[in-house]
Amino acid sequence: MKHGKKPFLTDRRFGYLLLLPALLLFGLVIIYPVARNVYLSFHEKSIATGMVESFAGFKHYLKIFTRDLRFRQALGNTLYFTVVSVGIEFLLGLSFALLLNLNFRFRNFARASVILPWALPTAVMAMAWRWIYHDIYGVANDILLRLGIIREAVAWLGKSPLAMHAAIFSDAWKTTSFMALMLLAGLQSIPQELYAAASIDGAGGWARFRYVTLPLLRPVIILALLFRSLQAFAVFDLIWVLTQGGPGGTTETLSVYLYSYTFRYLNLGYGSALSVAIFALSLIIIFVILFFQREEVELG
Amino acid sequence: MKGKLWVSLLVLIVLGAFLTTGVLAQEKVTIRWLFETDFGGGWKVLIENFEKTHPNIKVEMQEGPSATNTREDMYTTSFMAGESTYDMAYADLIWVPKFAAAGWIIPLGDRLTPYEIAQFLPGDIAGGMYQGKLYRIPSQSDAGMLYYRKDLLEEAGFEPPLTWDDLVEQAQKLQNPPDLWGFVWQGNQYEGLICDYLELLWGAGGELLDAEGKVVLDQGTAAVEALQFMYDVINTYKISPPGVTTYQEEESRHVFHNGQAVFHRNWPYVWTLAQKEDSPIKGKVGITPMVHKEGFQSAATQGGWGWVISKFSKHQEEAWEWIKFATSYESQKILHFYNGYIPTRHALFADPDILKESPHYPDLWRVQINARTRPQHPQYAQISDILQRNLHAGLTGTIKPEEAIKRAAQEIRELLGQ
Repeated sequence: MKHGKKPFLTDRRFGYLLLLPALLLFGLVIIYPVARNVYLSFHEKSIATGMVESFAGFKHYLKIFTRDLRFRQALGNTLYFTVVSVGIEFLLGLSFALLLNLNFRFRNFARASVILPWALPTAVMAMAWRWIYHDIYGVANDILLRLGIIREAVAWLGKSPLAMHAAIFSDAWKTTSFMALMLLAGLQSIPQELYAAASIDGAGGWARFRYVTLPLLRPVIILALLFRSLQAFAVFDLIWVLTQGGPGGTTETLSVYLYSYTFRYLNLGYGSALSVAIFALSLIIIFVILFFQREEVELG
Repeated sequence: MKGKLWVSLLVLIVLGAFLTTGVLAQEKVTIRWLFETDFGGGWKVLIENFEKTHPNIKVEMQEGPSATNTREDMYTTSFMAGESTYDMAYADLIWVPKFAAAGWIIPLGDRLTPYEIAQFLPGDIAGGMYQGKLYRIPSQSDAGMLYYRKDLLEEAGFEPPLTWDDLVEQAQKLQNPPDLWGFVWQGNQYEGLICDYLELLWGAGGELLDAEGKVVLDQGTAAVEALQFMYDVINTYKISPPGVTTYQEEESRHVFHNGQAVFHRNWPYVWTLAQKEDSPIKGKVGITPMVHKEGFQSAATQGGWGWVISKFSKHQEEAWEWIKFATSYESQKILHFYNGYIPTRHALFADPDILKESPHYPDLWRVQINARTRPQHPQYAQISDILQRNLHAGLTGTIKPEEAIKRAAQEIRELLGQ
């Protein structure tokens, strides 16, 4: 390497040059649409105005947060769905993970079969559940009638509090396996010596779980909760296939509401404002969950 | 280095030449539309016939998803981007005002004489109109009607029901739940609920919007009565299964098809399936116009499909050639026999070949001729959703029918700025 003028293409510049196509692509498919979305949310553009754009300022946002009762209902439904379904999935998933972590004869078979529900596409699974819940031909009613738990057939998706819980049950059926898998992976990475040491110190089963398993599993728990909460908060396909938001709007989630405004009513301005609002709410959820991660795990 | 540059230039030139000659050599014009799976195979026959007589046009049927709203979204996305992927659309009549108001489809009324237009059923023509212009040429008709079990009614000595009270009385006498229900229909929260509801509303002398587009739903008592009737057939008269509030067309048809219901409100397609060889109710089914309230007239909700031409198409004339061909008497006859479609031309309801196969066609024509369209408003999708949510809340007992109608009327007024 001779001293003197630097060549134009330094290694660093060359590196940036190689990154350029990827950055351009990223800009085109992520940054531009998001920016356009935010821009549209401050404008009026809908079928009612003949698809002509005009400036609207904060009008849409004001309506969303003050007068839009349907948004309020959808937000309530979505939060309820998220908290209850993720809660159930976590408790069940943790129990399954602890079971699958034990040594027993058909352990590998059991582990494989736990993955199955997660491998099904949600829309297909939801279609199956719709028939399971059917009042006349549904398997659910058939089993419960034979066991004598219910007297006459129930329309699981046809009454208000029932339908939401039926949807939560279907969701839990599918995604518990995902929780179990993630937590099982976490359990596998905990060194056995720690348990041995705890036992020598006289810790019982509960104490070992409380002071060894939980603290070491925490990062995985946080990750799993974060992942599932965001997914549940954005739930669309399950609800769309099962109830389309019924009965009487009691299972309508934010995604379903957003879809209707944008694609079915062709109200792009208001739809964009809705999507920005939903995005902001998702960020809040992320912060709330990450808040629990701040404390350092103490290993005495 | 220099060598490489020349080589790449040369490749580009050769490629360019190749492509342009390719385009020039191919004088054939391709016109495209998006459809569901062509189950009967009738469309493939039509395309073959058309391409024989029109050697310069190639017709491309893109087989896509069977869910109506998914196809609507695909058309919408393509039109929103202003691209010419689809030269025409096979459109449900409720898409027409929306597409026309957005300026995505072109008026076609001037291309037909009044005499030609009069050959079609009035409801099907009305379903293609927006602000006084015809945008859609109807190809396949649909209207709601009441199916009944002919054998059971004859056994009991009943005439087919005319009024709400007839239906309730006969259903209560004949039914034996849970093995045999009185009446199944579409009570899920979706577009079908509105079709069922409007038939009851119109059949009690009510209206949703008046001729000026003003909301008149909460004027008079018809709207509340119609919803109350829907609620009562489930909860008071107990002639409908509780799950009817979750049924769409297919769920309700299964109950009727398996011989587990006496009466069934649905579209014409049920007949074709009911008469199949392996059908449990083959030969035991009759059709009649939907029942109405005592002292009023029967009403049927118009449904159906037809052809529109995209504003962004570069081959509008070729698309028109195809549409003329596809909606002709002969083509509709082919589609009827292959795919079981209901024709949109009066004359086909008296076609000897069709009558031989479907002796109920005169009855069907009586239903079709009275069919009415849902409000043809560009914001219909949103109007319908407001109705769906409130009617369904009333139907499932979350709120009282009076309250449901009041809220629906209020929300629609707010939406339309009245």
